[in-house]
Amino acid sequence: MAAEMALVKPISKFSSLNPRFSNPMSGRYSKFTSIKMTATQSPSSTTTKPSKKAAKTAIKETLLTPRFYTTDFDEMETLFNTEINKKLNQSEFEALLQEFKTDYNQTHFVRNMEFKEAADKMQGPLRQIFVEFLERSCTAEFSGFLLYKELGRRLKKTNPVVAEIFSLMSRDEARHAGFLNKGLSDFNFALDLGFLTKARKYTFFKPKFIFYATYLSEKIGYWRYITIYRHLKTNPQYQCYPIFKYFENWCQDENRHGDFFSALMKAQPQFLNDWKAKLWARFFCLSVYVTMYLNDCQRTAFYEGIGLNTKEFDMHVIIETNRTTARIFPAVPDVENPEFKRKLDNMVEINQKIIAVGESEDIPLVKNLKKIPLVAALASELLAAYLMPPIESGSVDFAEFEPKLVY
Amino acid sequence: MFGVATPSLGSWASMVIQAPTPTQTQYVGYGGGSAFPIGIGKCSGARRSSSHYQQQSSRQGLVSLGSFSNCRSLFPSFSSSSSVMTAVAAVDSDKISSSDAADKQQPNKYYFVVANAKFMLDEEEHFQELMFERLRNYKERDREQDFWLVIEPKFLDKFPSITKRLRRPAVALVSTNGTWIKFMKLRLDRVLSECFEADSLEEALAFNPTNLEFMKPENWVAPYPKYEFGWWEPFLPPGSKEEVNILGGKIE
Repeated sequence: MAAEMALVKPISKFSSLNPRFSNPMSGRYSKFTSIKMTATQSPSSTTTKPSKKAAKTAIKETLLTPRFYTTDFDEMETLFNTEINKKLNQSEFEALLQEFKTDYNQTHFVRNMEFKEAADKMQGPLRQIFVEFLERSCTAEFSGFLLYKELGRRLKKTNPVVAEIFSLMSRDEARHAGFLNKGLSDFNFALDLGFLTKARKYTFFKPKFIFYATYLSEKIGYWRYITIYRHLKTNPQYQCYPIFKYFENWCQDENRHGDFFSALMKAQPQFLNDWKAKLWARFFCLSVYVTMYLNDCQRTAFYEGIGLNTKEFDMHVIIETNRTTARIFPAVPDVENPEFKRKLDNMVEINQKIIAVGESEDIPLVKNLKKIPLVAALASELLAAYLMPPIESGSVDFAEFEPKLVY
Repeated sequence: MFGVATPSLGSWASMVIQAPTPTQTQYVGYGGGSAFPIGIGKCSGARRSSSHYQQQSSRQGLVSLGSFSNCRSLFPSFSSSSSVMTAVAAVDSDKISSSDAADKQQPNKYYFVVANAKFMLDEEEHFQELMFERLRNYKERDREQDFWLVIEPKFLDKFPSITKRLRRPAVALVSTNGTWIKFMKLRLDRVLSECFEADSLEEALAFNPTNLEFMKPENWVAPYPKYEFGWWEPFLPPGSKEEVNILGGKIE
């Protein structure tokens, strides 16, 4: 689970046609409350970062922070119980299991002298930005490890094949998190992962939302890592830290994880084949893309520091992720419509103003009053982006027209 | 030589201790041989149950890396693991020679996914990454290649219902590993999948020579260059590389 995701918990399922427009609104309202917190908390978390002890006691939850997830494990067990669901395509899971057992990266994440040397050369703002990148990435990988490990444990009796796949995915995520944490030690930092396990707040997602969110997270992680890797391979002058050389192998793990969630969703067609599925699929795509875009534009110095244009990088990742996702999700946003990018850029501007208000010297009451119109503007942009005409999509395995498709 | 051995962990250790040198020799011989014939499994069915079990263990040890991992847990040091693999290979090698006549009558099964060449070789760049990842993994673990890319494969003539739905030129990913092909179907989604039997690898991978050309994308916006035309050459059927080089080309 590589991509940093910060999704607000969906308020409720769509139970009828009428709430179609009101529920997204409700969801966004919750998000705006979090946005208020963002401005207040970001500066203080920055100042406490150099101190390991202080950082321990100051875990800041903001809209854009990587999240820890939990789910309804009983429902998961029921969904994949091989005795209850005779129609489960076990052969697809067995194919995936063999792929994970192959363990392509068993011997690959080994550090060398280059790491410490590169870290020591990094000074000033770039060093601080890099530490933050490593820390956020490590947290995101670790949260994936926790979720997959628990799912592997809980499904062991009802579906040993799916359970083992979850366990093997948690192996991958643990390996990634460990590699990143060792990287942090080059900068004289370390994440106390045991402490994080207990102290972080967990976001509850129903299984179907875990599928949408985690599939997107893994696929977008693949595209982010492979894009950075291929860019740096042809522009080695920006290769400021050796961890990027491992991104080629690393991102294939993420891609395979996404394939597994693809198979999980195919095994539960009710999550893919009706109008509710289309609305949720679009919602999760939009949430993930907007979150990433706002996150990265807030940290544009990092991407420019490795020679990328932040917005071009993000748009490439969004377009490719959307194209990949269109092979399984029943509907996706039309992200190649130029209007979509204009809305993203508008949101960036609004978000920057919200942050500026938060960092100003005004008293809290004045700050909150100033934020109200900004939050409303952000809500308006999000809703408008959501209401843009989507692209109909999905796996050809489910398409009625499949027998006539030409390949 | 090892026919009397019973399939227990103790006897495996015994094999390692008793005859390390001869097993090494046999292993080398096996390495030079052809791909592991799946048909041998059927021969085992006709033998005593202990032989069947032994055969199953041998095949599993050779084909499944998972089982090899299990062996490693028993023998933590690298040399021990290597010895165990050698012993298993030796047993299997013995089986092959003893049932050589039967093998010749058993066609091998080949699984494939197929789509048009532009999709497989030009547009789906992650496909290239998977192919190289698997090839690298095979080399790291001294596994013999069991997957190939065939451009305009002749075996498509056996599948008219597939052929009529393909844009040409077509490219097939062929493997004797059906489980892996199933995974690739999930990954690629926009491909057709089937299987067939052939008497030899050469027959299975036979192709009609063709000229591949891909238009350069008008608007390439990614912050990195496209993978190079011809990345697929390491995966073409043995002996066909040179020919394709002559026929290949691209539009600037």
